[in-house]
Amino acid sequence: MTTVQETIPAIPVTLSTRRRVARRVLRNPLAVLGLVVVCAAMLTALLANFVAPYPFDQVNFSEPLRPPSGTHIFGTDSIGRDQLSRAIYGLRASVAVGLLSVVLSLSIGVPFGLLAGFYGWLDPVVSRLTDTLLAFPFLVLAVGLAAILGPSLSTAIIAIGIAQIPAVVRVTRGETLRLRHMDFVAAAVAGGAGDFVLLRRHILPNAVNALIVQATVAIPGAIIGEAVLSFLGLGVRPPTPSLGVMLADAQTFVRDGPWMAVFPGVTIVVLTLALNLLGDGLRDALDPRESRS
Amino acid sequence: MGRYVLRRMLESAVTLILATIVVFLGIRALPGDPARTLAGEESDPATLAAIRQTYGLDQPLPVQYVRYVQKAATGDLGRSPRTGLPVAETIGHALPVTLQLAAFAITIAILIGIGAGVIAAVRRRRPAEWGANAVALLGLSVPNFWFGQMVILSLAIAYPLLPASGFVSIFENPVESFRHLLMPAVVLGSGLAAIIMRQTRSAMLDALLADYVRTARAKGLGGAQVVFGHALRNSLIVVITIVGLQLGALISGAVVTEQLFVLPGFGKLTIDAVFTRDYPMIQGVVLVTATAYILINLAVDLLYSVIDPRIRVGGAAL
Repeated sequence: MTTVQETIPAIPVTLSTRRRVARRVLRNPLAVLGLVVVCAAMLTALLANFVAPYPFDQVNFSEPLRPPSGTHIFGTDSIGRDQLSRAIYGLRASVAVGLLSVVLSLSIGVPFGLLAGFYGWLDPVVSRLTDTLLAFPFLVLAVGLAAILGPSLSTAIIAIGIAQIPAVVRVTRGETLRLRHMDFVAAAVAGGAGDFVLLRRHILPNAVNALIVQATVAIPGAIIGEAVLSFLGLGVRPPTPSLGVMLADAQTFVRDGPWMAVFPGVTIVVLTLALNLLGDGLRDALDPRESRS
Repeated sequence: MGRYVLRRMLESAVTLILATIVVFLGIRALPGDPARTLAGEESDPATLAAIRQTYGLDQPLPVQYVRYVQKAATGDLGRSPRTGLPVAETIGHALPVTLQLAAFAITIAILIGIGAGVIAAVRRRRPAEWGANAVALLGLSVPNFWFGQMVILSLAIAYPLLPASGFVSIFENPVESFRHLLMPAVVLGSGLAAIIMRQTRSAMLDALLADYVRTARAKGLGGAQVVFGHALRNSLIVVITIVGLQLGALISGAVVTEQLFVLPGFGKLTIDAVFTRDYPMIQGVVLVTATAYILINLAVDLLYSVIDPRIRVGGAAL
């Protein structure tokens, strides 16, 4: 039995398809711009200790609320901390939340989606569970979790990750429903493949494209989510720098230090805009039929 | 038709029950004595005993759950230890603020979103389309609270045209109400407008290529009549769907917007409740939101099964 199974190509997705997708993305100038900015931001976050001109917590009472200048490009806050350095360290929180919340939602959502799509009798159960999760709007869910767990970076990651589970379940379930009746899956069944092998080797690899598209929407959403939660005081807590925390601090000094509100916001916008451009490019490259331009 | 409605209502009922269980268990997931949690931090043994009595905390969990649901169904959501007022009453005072804000925001979003979407679809491959697309992309990338900060910075501080905070009801003073709610409503509606614009554009592009539009053109109908009478009409169902789907985002957005513009609504109540550890209030707010969300979604689903009979067959899947 096993010998028959090995002669059947496990996945129609081949390396050359992946290479074609990469080539299509690289031919899209906006997507390349997005890719460059995203890579630069991730490097900056990773190397914050070396890139930042000052330590993020270095207080300087002789230079409070200084507007942007050569020595402090983003200006300083009410206790003289360099805003550029804080924004650079703040990127760490953004990148951490963006990646970890997506990992969380995938690791819970994908198995449930596969099972719901594959075993019809499980479908209504999983659907009711995801509907229940959806009944709690993101911030309400985050409020509940912050009340139970206390506000912190991990609370933000958990809240955002949980809020994204229903979308992951739906995408995975839809792909599984679509794929399980395809010929190559039928061939694998004929070859004696068990349910686990079918899901793991034949269905999941073909659902990856849809999940990548889902992630390109989820990651910028998560980065904005972190900023919102930290802004409201439900996420990252000071003195840990986060772009949302910086914007919350800026609230008090809108009149005397408007730059405190401008630069962290611009940083978030540039990062999410780059991710959205890259995401749009990837989506078009993965599924040219969906392209509308 | 009847079967679809029945199935959808049954599903919503199950979801609602599950949601109440989550809310019920949430407060019991907190470390420590739930009576102490519900009573607030400074409370004497007599109050604690009274709370144990009212909530039946000495009873087994299923019994407690049934009592909780019975009380909630009759509008009794407990009392806030902070203000001493019934939770339901406080929520009742905050809700009109949020509803006025949301209605205003949805109106703005629909007007801008549909307008820009139609322009982008009709003026394909021209600056108008690129402009509309760029603004929509920006609308999806700019966090709304930061957009709010920038609007306050420019329209309330640099050029003091509009008040930066406060709420006036439309039923008391329509003009002042408009002035106070304009900035928050634009901020809350901007994200929704971007999404509506994108969807209207793609629905219009499909519609403009459809056979019935070609037929209308062949009949000799003018450009405007085709665009508005035929293509747009059939694109509108998309907008209802989007508003329904974006309801959760709208509720989250309202929380942020109210915090930013200091509006005494539902969202501000929610955040204040977390910071004052007002657990009965948190429980009440979460329960009310989830219930409202489930019921409105059911209403939207049933509404467009009436508008578009095809949905009944395929199920209102996303």
